[in-house]
Amino acid sequence: MAKPNRDGRKTVCRELRESIGAEKVRDDEITLVTYGRVRHGFDFMWPFRKPSLVVFPETREDVVETLKIANRYKFPITSVGTAPIMLGTTEGGIILDQRRRDRVMEINTDSGYAVIEPGVSFDKLTSALRGTGFKCSVGTMPGPGTILGQALGRGSQSFTTRYLNVILDLEVVLPNGTVFSTGSSHFDNVGSHLRYGPYPDLAGLYTCGYGAMGVITKAAIRIHPVNEASKIHFAGFNNYSDAIDYVKDLINNNIPEHTFIWNWHMYLTWPLAPSDMETVMPQILESEIKKPPEGTPYNMVSSLLSGYKEQVEVYENICAKVAQKYHGRVFSEEEMEKRFPATMAGFRQQYGDFHYRESVHWSKGRFVGWYVFAEPKDMKEIEKFAVNEFEKFGKTINPVNYYSHPFDFGRSILLRISGFPDPSDTELRGKIAKKFNEMYDVALKKYRAVPIRPIGSKRAGTYMVVLRSIKKALDPNNILNRDSGLFEEGEL
Amino acid sequence: MKLATTLKDVQATASRCLRDARCTYGSWPENHILCPIYWHEPSFTFSGGGYLFLVLALLDKKIDFNQSTADFAFSCASCMACDSNCNLIRCHAPYVGILDIIRLLRGEAVKRGFVPEGTAKKMYDKVKKTGDYGQASSLKLPDKISSDKADTVVFAECAHTKAQKDISEAAVRLLEKIGSPVSQFAEKGCCGSTLYDFGFWEQLEPLAKANWEKMKGLKDKNFVFINPHCQEFVVKRYPEILPDYSSINNQHFSQFLADAFKSGKLKSQKADKVKVSYHDPCYLGRGLKIYDAPREVLSSLDGVELVEMQRNRENSFCCGARVLGNYVPNLSKDTARERIKEFKATGADLLITACAYCKDNFQKVMPGKDKTKVKDLIEFVDGRT
Repeated sequence: MAKPNRDGRKTVCRELRESIGAEKVRDDEITLVTYGRVRHGFDFMWPFRKPSLVVFPETREDVVETLKIANRYKFPITSVGTAPIMLGTTEGGIILDQRRRDRVMEINTDSGYAVIEPGVSFDKLTSALRGTGFKCSVGTMPGPGTILGQALGRGSQSFTTRYLNVILDLEVVLPNGTVFSTGSSHFDNVGSHLRYGPYPDLAGLYTCGYGAMGVITKAAIRIHPVNEASKIHFAGFNNYSDAIDYVKDLINNNIPEHTFIWNWHMYLTWPLAPSDMETVMPQILESEIKKPPEGTPYNMVSSLLSGYKEQVEVYENICAKVAQKYHGRVFSEEEMEKRFPATMAGFRQQYGDFHYRESVHWSKGRFVGWYVFAEPKDMKEIEKFAVNEFEKFGKTINPVNYYSHPFDFGRSILLRISGFPDPSDTELRGKIAKKFNEMYDVALKKYRAVPIRPIGSKRAGTYMVVLRSIKKALDPNNILNRDSGLFEEGEL
Repeated sequence: MKLATTLKDVQATASRCLRDARCTYGSWPENHILCPIYWHEPSFTFSGGGYLFLVLALLDKKIDFNQSTADFAFSCASCMACDSNCNLIRCHAPYVGILDIIRLLRGEAVKRGFVPEGTAKKMYDKVKKTGDYGQASSLKLPDKISSDKADTVVFAECAHTKAQKDISEAAVRLLEKIGSPVSQFAEKGCCGSTLYDFGFWEQLEPLAKANWEKMKGLKDKNFVFINPHCQEFVVKRYPEILPDYSSINNQHFSQFLADAFKSGKLKSQKADKVKVSYHDPCYLGRGLKIYDAPREVLSSLDGVELVEMQRNRENSFCCGARVLGNYVPNLSKDTARERIKEFKATGADLLITACAYCKDNFQKVMPGKDKTKVKDLIEFVDGRT
C-alpha cells in the first residue's frame, strides 16, 4: 500500500488536533525521528520508518476518535507502549503511544484480577498491589515496561507455570470505532473474572496479534494471593535433561507455584548490580558456555513454594527428595547468598517483594533471542541443539543467557536463549539473524518446536489464510500495524 | 568523559537502550516521575532514551543538526535522574552516562554554531569574547580566622547566580562563628562546570587547567565547597579531563556545618518553632550523594521541624534552573512550580535548599510576598546560630 501523501497527512493532523486536542498530537521532526525505529529500540538492524504523527491519547474516546479519523483517510496506525515491542512502524503513519493512559482502574481481591489501562507498567501495578495481599506476574523486562506490551506478546512471566497467559479480558477498539470486551465484562455490570463466556474466546485473537486486529484500551489481568508462607528453593543440575525431569516431576505433583530453569550464564548475570559488571561480568565474557567453573551448576532451578507454613516445609523436603532422584544438588539460601549474591538479590525482589530487580537488566541491554515452545522430551534435544549453535558464534556474544520453564503445568516447555553481540556490529548480527531462521526451520521440522514470535507468514500456511480473512473483516482498510509484526510488510 | 569523546564513540552504548523508560522514573515502589522534561511532556522523545535515539538518528543521518536540535539538547534539566535509575548505558564502554551523552550532543550543536537564544546565547557570546564565564570573587574573610596556613580552604566560586552573594556572605559569618582558621581559594575564572554542562568545551579545558595549576599546591588541604555544581565538577570531572589531577579532600559546606555542630564549635540559638522542608539539589544529592549532612544540620537547630516532600533524596525532583533550551515552552518555570506545589503540600513554612541555582529558580516563580520562604541552608543556619 502506498505511503500516505503530504496533503493527507496535513488533513489527518488537523482533524486529530481538532478532535482530541492539539497537545496530544505531535508532528515535530525530533519526535518523529525518535519514533522512527521503535522495534526493540533504535536498532540499526530494523528498517527506519518515520511516522507522520505521534498521538498520545489520554482517554478511550481519544483512541476511538483517532482510529475513526485514521480509518476514514486509510491512514496506517501502530499502537505502542513502553519497552521493546515486536512490531514495526509504517512510514508516514500514525503512532498511537498509550503511555499516558496508565491508571490501575480496579484491584479485585475477591476474584483475583486487576483492571488496567495499557500504559500501566509492572512497577506501577506491583506498587499498587502492596498491602492488598495480592501479587502479579513479573515479566522478564524491566519494571517500567508496560504489562500489556509483554502480555499481549504472550511473554514469559513469573507465574506462567500454571497459566499460559495473564490476560483475562480485553477492551478493544476496532478501526470503525466499535468498542467491545472479549470476556465476561462484555455484559453490563459484570466484572472481568472470566476469560471464557458463551462465545468463542476473542482475547486469543489479540494475544500475539501485535495490534493488527484492533487497539487494546483496557485489560483485566490475573493477580494471585500472597500466601502465609513462601520460600524459593534452589537445586543445581549438571545437565538440562535432569533439570527438565525435575521440574516436570515437581509440577506434576502440584508443588511449585512457579519454577524456572536457568543456565549458568543467566543466573549469574541477569540480576547484576552495576558494581558487579566489573567483577562478575569479565569472567563470564571469557568463559565457554558449556563449561561452568568447578562447583557452579550448569543449570539452576528456582522454585517458588507457597502456601501455609507447614505446607511449604513439606514442599521443601519434597523438592530435596526429587532433586536427589534426578542427580541434583540442593543449594540453601545461605549458600546462594554467599556464592551468588546478585542472583539472590534478584530472586528476593521477584519472589519476596514481587517486583523486577533494578539491575543492569539483561546484563548487556540489546540482545538477540531465539524462542521456542516444545514438548518436554523434544525440548531436551532442542537445548543441546541451540547451545551448540550459539557456541559457534564464539565468545563475542557472551553471555549466552537462557531460561526455560513449563507452561500450563508442563504440557509445554519454553526455551528462550539469547546472546549479546555488540549492538553496532551489524555484520555479525546479520549472520545471527540468518542462523536463527535456519534454526527455527530445524526446530520446527526435526524437534516439533513452535516459535513463540512470528517468523514469517509463509511458514504459517492455512493458519495465516484464516487470520487474513479475520483481519480483512475487522480492518478492511488495513490501517492497523500494516508493516511487520503479525503480517509481513503490509501484506493482507 | 574525555573532552575528545565524539558522538560516534557513544553509538554502541546508546543503541543498548531498550526504550523501557527506566530513565524517567524513580525507584520502586514509589515510581515517581523524576525527569522534568518527561514530567512535562510524557513521550519517549522527552526522556533520556529519546535523547539517545536522537543521537543515533543524527549518526544515521535521519535528521540534521539545526537550531531545533540545540534547543532540544539544552532543554534537558541536567538533573541526573536518568543516570540514577538506568544502569544499562553507563555500564558499557566508553562508560558514560545518559547526561554525558546529552552534553556531548550540546557540544556538537555548539560546534556547529547552534545555541539556544536567551541565557545560553548570552553565555556563549561571553565565553567567545572573553574566554571565560566567571566573575571570580574572593570572600571577605575576617582577619581573626583568615590564615594561609589553615587546613581548611573554602572554594570561593565565581558568581553566576543572584543568590550567590547573600549565600557567600552568610558563609563568611558562619566561618567567623565557628572560629577555626580558614583560607580561601578564589577561582581563576569559572571552574568549568557550567561550560561543561552546556557544551562550551573549547573554552573549558584552559580554564580547568588554570584552576588546577592554582589548586594543586593546596591539594593536601581540605576544600570546602559552597556550590555543589563546582564541587561535583572538580571532584568528578577534573580527573577525566586533566592528566595531572590528583584527588583532593573535599566537603560540601553542609558537611562542614554538620561537623561544626557535632564538635560544639557551632551552636544553635533558642528560636521560634518553624517547619521546614529540604529540597535536595541534584548535584549535591544525585551528583555527590550528600543527603544526610543537610538534614543533620537542620536537626541540630533549635525549634526546627523537618518535613520531607514526597520526592526526596535520590528521588528528588529538580528545580528546573538548568533548562536553557526553548524546545518545551516554560519548562524551567513549570518545573520549579511543580516542586513548589510539592513543598506547599507538606505544610512547611520554609523551603530550604543548598544550591544557589535552586534558590534563584524557586524565587523566580514564587509570588513576591512568598519569595522569603525560599532560603539557602547556609543563610538559614546563619540566622539561627
